[in-house]
Amino acid sequence: MAEIDRWRVEELTGQQVERLTEKLPRSIAYAKTASRALAGGVSCAWHALDPATIYGVRGEGSHLWDLDGNDYVDLHCGYGVMVCGHANPKVVEAVRERVALGTHFAMPVEDAVVVAELLAERFGLPLWRFKNSGSEATMDACRVMRAATGRELVIKVEGSYHGSSDGLAFSYWVDVGQAGSRERPVAVPNTTGVPEVFGQALRIVPFNDLSAVERVLADEGDRVAGMILEPILMNCGVILPDPGYLAGLRDLLHRHGALLTFDEVKTGVTIAPGGATEWSGVTPDLVALAKAIGGGLPIGAVGGTEEAMRVLVDGTMEQEGTFNGNPLSMAAARAVLTDVLTPDAYRRLGELEPVLAGGVRGVIDRYGLPARVASVGCRGSVHFRAEPVRDFRDHVQVDAELAHLSWLFQLNRGVFQPAGDPWTFSVMHSEDDLRRSVEAFEAFATAVTG
Amino acid sequence: MAVRATVDIDLEKVDRLIEEEEAKLEPKHRASLEYRKTAERHVAGGVASSWQDSPPHAIFIDRGERNRLWDLDGNEYVDYHLGYGAMVVGHAHPKIVEAIEKQARLGTHFAQPTKDLDVIGENLAERFRLPLWRFCNSGTEATLEAGRLMRANTGRDVLIKIEGSYHGHHDSLMFSVVPDPAKIGPREHPVTLPQAMGIPQAFADLVRVVPFNDLAEARRAFEENEGRVAGMIVEPAMMNCGVIMPQPGYLQGLKDLCHEFGAYLAFDEVKTGATIAYGGAVEVFGVVPDIVCLAKAIGGGTPCGAMGATEELYRPVLAGEHDIAGTFNGNPLTMAASRAALLEVLTPEAYEGFGAVDAKLKEGLSAVIEEHRLGAYVTGVGAKGSVIYSTTEVKEYRDSVGVDERITYLAWLFQQNRGVFKSPWTKQETWTLSVWHTESDAERYIDNFAGFAAAITG
Repeated sequence: MAEIDRWRVEELTGQQVERLTEKLPRSIAYAKTASRALAGGVSCAWHALDPATIYGVRGEGSHLWDLDGNDYVDLHCGYGVMVCGHANPKVVEAVRERVALGTHFAMPVEDAVVVAELLAERFGLPLWRFKNSGSEATMDACRVMRAATGRELVIKVEGSYHGSSDGLAFSYWVDVGQAGSRERPVAVPNTTGVPEVFGQALRIVPFNDLSAVERVLADEGDRVAGMILEPILMNCGVILPDPGYLAGLRDLLHRHGALLTFDEVKTGVTIAPGGATEWSGVTPDLVALAKAIGGGLPIGAVGGTEEAMRVLVDGTMEQEGTFNGNPLSMAAARAVLTDVLTPDAYRRLGELEPVLAGGVRGVIDRYGLPARVASVGCRGSVHFRAEPVRDFRDHVQVDAELAHLSWLFQLNRGVFQPAGDPWTFSVMHSEDDLRRSVEAFEAFATAVTG
Repeated sequence: MAVRATVDIDLEKVDRLIEEEEAKLEPKHRASLEYRKTAERHVAGGVASSWQDSPPHAIFIDRGERNRLWDLDGNEYVDYHLGYGAMVVGHAHPKIVEAIEKQARLGTHFAQPTKDLDVIGENLAERFRLPLWRFCNSGTEATLEAGRLMRANTGRDVLIKIEGSYHGHHDSLMFSVVPDPAKIGPREHPVTLPQAMGIPQAFADLVRVVPFNDLAEARRAFEENEGRVAGMIVEPAMMNCGVIMPQPGYLQGLKDLCHEFGAYLAFDEVKTGATIAYGGAVEVFGVVPDIVCLAKAIGGGTPCGAMGATEELYRPVLAGEHDIAGTFNGNPLTMAASRAALLEVLTPEAYEGFGAVDAKLKEGLSAVIEEHRLGAYVTGVGAKGSVIYSTTEVKEYRDSVGVDERITYLAWLFQQNRGVFKSPWTKQETWTLSVWHTESDAERYIDNFAGFAAAITG
């Protein structure tokens, strides 16, 4: 294993930051204009990047152009949304057709029904409702679990992000010093302004730890409505579930009359046609979707078993939203699910996986970097840690400086990746696109070990 | 409001008329009724939102153009529903169509900021007199972030909300929206009632409910919870029980009260913003709150939301102490549609147009009410209006409780059977106008209303 020289990492980071800053004069200047009326010059906290926020101009296929005209291979894909590729002709056509017919009625339209049928087939869950974001989808999924069981507690995995609703805005990226023991973590709010009361309705457990869930259920199982988790953790890099973990969870929860929700906002229709549900062979009671299903339009969806969704069908639980199932998002989703993310497309994503994940893994091996690749289909990440990463507490021990430097190398060599989040490639990425990222990674490896 | 003699409504007759009108409607909606069976196979209840399924049955929509709407059966309507007030730009407005088509070709989502943002931010800042903005994807998300921002800035937990107001369906505010009159408790201490199953009682304990238009009751809530109230959220004109206008001085009084107790005032302008005037309720009532929440109309028919606030409130966000996040926030497609809606369609002149149609409607409907001595009156402002079925002025939710919903349902059926699409559900009739609505559209509405009035009083 190569020894990493901290001074060298710091020196290289300085060089890369300088180089990047020189490439972004317009974005840097525009940030000041944008900040006049836009709080912080961005509309989402995660859009602000270090050392500079990059303003996008346009995207086409696998590429993205910023305000300075820099051309990137886009492995960010808008946090894993754009698996269909930017301005995919099928999506452009669907949007063009729908926009001329009206985009919003707050009344049901046929495309919503077709999209529900397509999702039912992919996820093996019969009944669906639509939302406008992943946050709204997970919020509704939790409410359904509570309404269906008449219980209040929800079990949540530490380090997992389920959107910004008050009921779930806890223990996503927290200071481990305040979060209790690894075995029995406490709920810590993700941001200020979230009352503790919401956290008191949660029980936090580590990922990949069945016994922690068993303990919660043994202690207060008759109060637990259900558990929500990302079946594959996707915001601590990519962390795969241990064999048997997901099936074990479902059995445990059902034994206590509680429900299981998969938050497939990130995995759904990206890693397989039926997301992690298909990939794992474990069908939960509820699935929350968003991101990739909309082809780049705001969307969310909740699917469930007939039993879980009964409260919606019989009207005992109101579930609403003015924009839910809005015709424009539905038209785009229909095109994505029917014409873009076809069986052939998944085959192709599968064929591309070894080019990127395998390529990066090869570099790690050749240079002896203290790092590991975790990858599934078009999503993957590098954990800068020699030992395997199995949960959030492992993840916080990754070498953050090295990760940041690697990200800077990618940017400076024309590859846009999310800082800290997994990469995503689309059906429009080529082998050459992915090799560009592998080459940038090799340049980084050469520099830090040289 | 002048007190007039009014006729008593025979509710048995109303029931009979409802039966007749429902029988008339059914054959017009055969395709919708048939399609519902297909929809129910995989869409829970056959609709994407509970509010899309109102009595007598869900109506599936095919398309819309300007002020017109066509359902699956090919019925054509003048649309006064407008997607719960979102489509004041009208359906498929050429400027919006062009903006969306163009942006779709340039890419619709990067999760990175784009250049439309500051233009929209500046436009909203001008309209609502608040300097700083953030974007999200729905009114629900906007009020959620507003509540959180007030809590973050005060370090307090309690929010005060108005009985009978809807602020989206998240866990912090989904209370006492249409509360059951049997459970609402005394007016000076309304019970905070969850609007949906699946919301823990502990969440309700963070919300104090007060009646609209009553400063003394608002003061009581602050005094009883001294040091605990982060802020108050209010629809400056209530839009959930018909349109209920604020009494003179009420909104300014609330702002002063909030500040007196170290708390903030948020206007939920999801329904009033960019519809009742260029600068929404802020302009109409001349009170600038600490936060304004927007959605619906500002997106031109795409899922949108926005929060504008003072520099003081946004300070923790700028300092990086408080996160507002969302993958689709500021989504380029929504921003492109929003830019076109705000800068090219909903111009100051557009609001003059609303004024003319609004005046025509109010005049015509008032004349019908007068002629048939109906116990009702007309209210509203800009693109939003309402017939209130009451002989005394409705100032708060509890004033509407006695209204028999069969009357408004019958009014809805009369319009629906005669080519006017209106939003369902409310105990009071409401309408929204688009920039395409004409005085002859107003005439159709008035004629139908006259038929309804003659039928129930005759």
